[in-house]
Amino acid sequence: MKKIFRLTLLLTFCTFCFSNTSNGQDAREVSKNSADIIALSSMEMVTSLKIYDQKGNVRTRKVSIASKKFGDVTKMIMRFVDPADVKGTAMLVYDYEGKPDDMWIYMPALKKSRRIVSNEKGKNFMGSEFTNADMSKPNIDDFNYKLLSTEIFNGKNCYKIEATAKTKDLETENGFSKKISYIEKGNYLCHKIEFYDLSGKLSKTQTISDYRPVSDNKYFYYLMEMKNEQTGRKSVLITDAFQAGSNLSESLFSPANLEK
Amino acid sequence: MSKKIGIIRYRWIIIIATAILTAASIIPLLTIKVNPDLESYLPDKMESKVNNDRIGEVFGTYEPVVLIFEADDILNPSTLERLEKLSDEFGKMSEFTSVISLYTTRDIRSEGGSMIVEPVVKTLPKTAEEKEMLREEIKKNDLAYKLLVSEDFKYSMILLNSNKTLKDKELIDQIYKKLDEFPGNEKVYLNGQPYLRSEANDKISRDIMILLPIGLVLMLLFFWISFRELKGVFLPFSVVLISIVASMALIPLFGWELSIIGIIIPIMMLAIANNYGVHYISRYQELNALYPNLTMDEIVTQASLYLNKPVILCGLTTIVGVLGLILSVLLPATQMGVVSSIGIALALILSLTFTPAILSVMKKGKVHFDLKGEKVGKIVYTLNHIGKYVTENPRKMIIFFTAFIVVSLAGLFNFRVASDFNEILPQKHPYNKSINIMNKAFGGSKMINIMFDGDIKDPVILSKMSKYEEELEKTPGVGSVTSIATIIRKMSTALNDPSDPDYNTIPKTREGVAQYIELYSMNGDPAAFENLVDFDYTKAIMTIQCNYKKLSEAKLIIDKIKMLTKDDKGTVIGGYALVEKEMSESVVTGQYYSLIFAFIAIVILLSIIFKSITAGLLGSIPLLYAVFCIFGLMGWMGIELNIVTALLSSISIGLGVDFTIHIFWRVKSELLQGLSYTEAFMVAIRTTGRGITINALSVMLGFSVLFLSAFPLIKAFALLIILSLLFCLVSALLLIPAICIIYKPKFLNKNNKI
Repeated sequence: MKKIFRLTLLLTFCTFCFSNTSNGQDAREVSKNSADIIALSSMEMVTSLKIYDQKGNVRTRKVSIASKKFGDVTKMIMRFVDPADVKGTAMLVYDYEGKPDDMWIYMPALKKSRRIVSNEKGKNFMGSEFTNADMSKPNIDDFNYKLLSTEIFNGKNCYKIEATAKTKDLETENGFSKKISYIEKGNYLCHKIEFYDLSGKLSKTQTISDYRPVSDNKYFYYLMEMKNEQTGRKSVLITDAFQAGSNLSESLFSPANLEK
Repeated sequence: MSKKIGIIRYRWIIIIATAILTAASIIPLLTIKVNPDLESYLPDKMESKVNNDRIGEVFGTYEPVVLIFEADDILNPSTLERLEKLSDEFGKMSEFTSVISLYTTRDIRSEGGSMIVEPVVKTLPKTAEEKEMLREEIKKNDLAYKLLVSEDFKYSMILLNSNKTLKDKELIDQIYKKLDEFPGNEKVYLNGQPYLRSEANDKISRDIMILLPIGLVLMLLFFWISFRELKGVFLPFSVVLISIVASMALIPLFGWELSIIGIIIPIMMLAIANNYGVHYISRYQELNALYPNLTMDEIVTQASLYLNKPVILCGLTTIVGVLGLILSVLLPATQMGVVSSIGIALALILSLTFTPAILSVMKKGKVHFDLKGEKVGKIVYTLNHIGKYVTENPRKMIIFFTAFIVVSLAGLFNFRVASDFNEILPQKHPYNKSINIMNKAFGGSKMINIMFDGDIKDPVILSKMSKYEEELEKTPGVGSVTSIATIIRKMSTALNDPSDPDYNTIPKTREGVAQYIELYSMNGDPAAFENLVDFDYTKAIMTIQCNYKKLSEAKLIIDKIKMLTKDDKGTVIGGYALVEKEMSESVVTGQYYSLIFAFIAIVILLSIIFKSITAGLLGSIPLLYAVFCIFGLMGWMGIELNIVTALLSSISIGLGVDFTIHIFWRVKSELLQGLSYTEAFMVAIRTTGRGITINALSVMLGFSVLFLSAFPLIKAFALLIILSLLFCLVSALLLIPAICIIYKPKFLNKNNKI
């Protein structure tokens, strides 16, 4: 009788461990698939960024962005189209793996470009609620994943996955302690992410919609909103035009070309 | 006799009604709230408050709390490490909208044709050499040097902008908790309104809990020493207690809260409310000794008939004096005027109804009155000599008093009005220590804000702001000036080389400005400029950090700002320094109004009582004498006129006039009996003089409890009110007789009934 009891206990324990591991792997896999399905590495796009304050006042910026990978370096050029007073202002970023970015800016009013040396990547994207990390592919290995449940979000059957930073340093670098993503079953499109600050409180909610297929098995979002739950501010990113991949030559991604 | 019948017939109704009133007062008393925020008491229409509200609508109403760290060298690795950890930890707290420290500020500069953006402290200095290199770098960074680190590197500050979601005490406790979590050898000083209010709040509660019981015990002892019987202790004491409870209950009933001034109310009631009851017991003991065969009812009746009129008159004059406070612009002073005058009126009514009612149901006690007056022989002996000297040398007396007031008035040259309310806490309190450090090592502890209206990206407006900054920085009392124009100029030094004409200037075109700002915000937080400019760039704020000490300097700075911005439409001047300035000015205005009101009211009241304008004018001399001597002495002693000391004149006028009334009263009756002016005053000083001296001493004793207050302002008030009462007493005993003996005013010799 005792033996049977021990066996049952062992079996229960093993089942628990197995399901937990399997659960973790599933959650990581789902998150990876979700990251991979978005076309981000090489593209050309025109996007409108609307930045709202607590009172609902809005500031709109329209920028054209081109990004392409040359060897190990991802080069990105961003040029303001609107409003008129900043039209032509441009920024060039060389994103290296394992060393700080190189950055140049061009200001048409002063007719000069200047290199910017900064060890810190600006956390916010163009002074909005989005961070630069929201604009790039997340590093899957930085987080531990856990499948919390499945939930219906906006009529879509989603995995609810919690991702926690593996180290304190990563927490500080990302600016959040954990995020909970709602990823649609079947197509892996992420529809909502809740970000929790370093003290564990809900800080921001991101909603992503209007996914459109842009190339083979790749999608891009045409509407993304980030709401700061603590301050009431929000930012909306509307993709006006998108093209996966880029035909631009490397010479166009040079400081000399900024002034043209 | 109808009075006798009245009080005695309705005695049980009176006693029960008093008991009900007392019990009913306890209920609201339990709901009393302490509010140490002086700004909240300002009238809503006050310019500085209206302006601050307007600025608050655009820029939010956060409140800064400053933490100053003191170390031998701020650049010691352990200190830097502590600053970094604390800065990070505070940054995580949702109670703060922003944290400004050495670790949140950047070093933006131009180097080798590039714009460099770096943290101020990149890594902890490991060697002495690295430490000195960091020191040199910080010295070149005008966003950090002298703003976040002092010139001598002994102090560094962390500025926390609270979003007011926590109560003051909770907020300060949270800060202390974090400081304890990351301990270090550095001394940490706090300042900012939440800290001041939290400290004041604790001290107000402590004062009420300590001062009142001590005062009550002191009064019990005083009554026992004076009367040596339980009746003599119990009756005046119950009047004091009931008046305190009822008057304090009025504060929550009127929907008010207890301010720092509120501490004085119960102590003042303690000092004043016993007066009338003491007269009653004194008369009862006198009658009991003189006429042992009288029944209690007869004693009560006789005492009432004898005492009602003078006691009512003295009570009325005190109420009128204290009512002068109603004219103050500051709500706490007005509240004090209302509450204490109702309290005094209640004490007066209770002394004339409740005291005799209780007395009439009690048994007669043993005789406790020394008919020969041996026990108070020393006072009588001294007064006898004084009376003799005064009546023989009236002119010398007048010369002496004149000389004294001239010397006192010379102190008016040093008379100062407080420019802020920092002295609410003791000089040695860490709050004041941190204020001194802010003033000496950083730009100053007082803030003035100017809100500009228009297209803020317009170089014309920005250049104008830049010009104002330069002008204001030259003004004495101004420590530093910051605005969006400062930041744009700073950006120009990083985006241009020093040889470039655009270096350290505002760009010439609107586009240039827009592109600078866009560039900054591309890398910054969406709220980066939130404290400097509004969302749509139509309003900007300039913060002027000041370290002035005198109200006159504050006025010069504000006049300069008004002069500079007189042609700029829509400019709003605000900031807590402006609130303090206006509060100080209201203290002065309130002082004038209260003084004039109390003085005129007393002259009228005395003129009516003695049916003579001369009596009114003559009777007010001791009050004027006391008030002016006190103002002069405040100058000599370096005590400033502030929200608390401004209460002095109304209270001392209200109390001090009683002494003169008693002297006039007695002299009049002696003159009627055929004595000469000299003889009449001799008698009055010896007899009535004794009564009013004991009365004055009891009031002074009551006020002396305030010396135990935790607030220096209140201690200074205690000293001044005691001195003021002493001047009133001495003037009534010496100056008034001297003047009357020389000029022989007719009203004293008229056979008119009072």
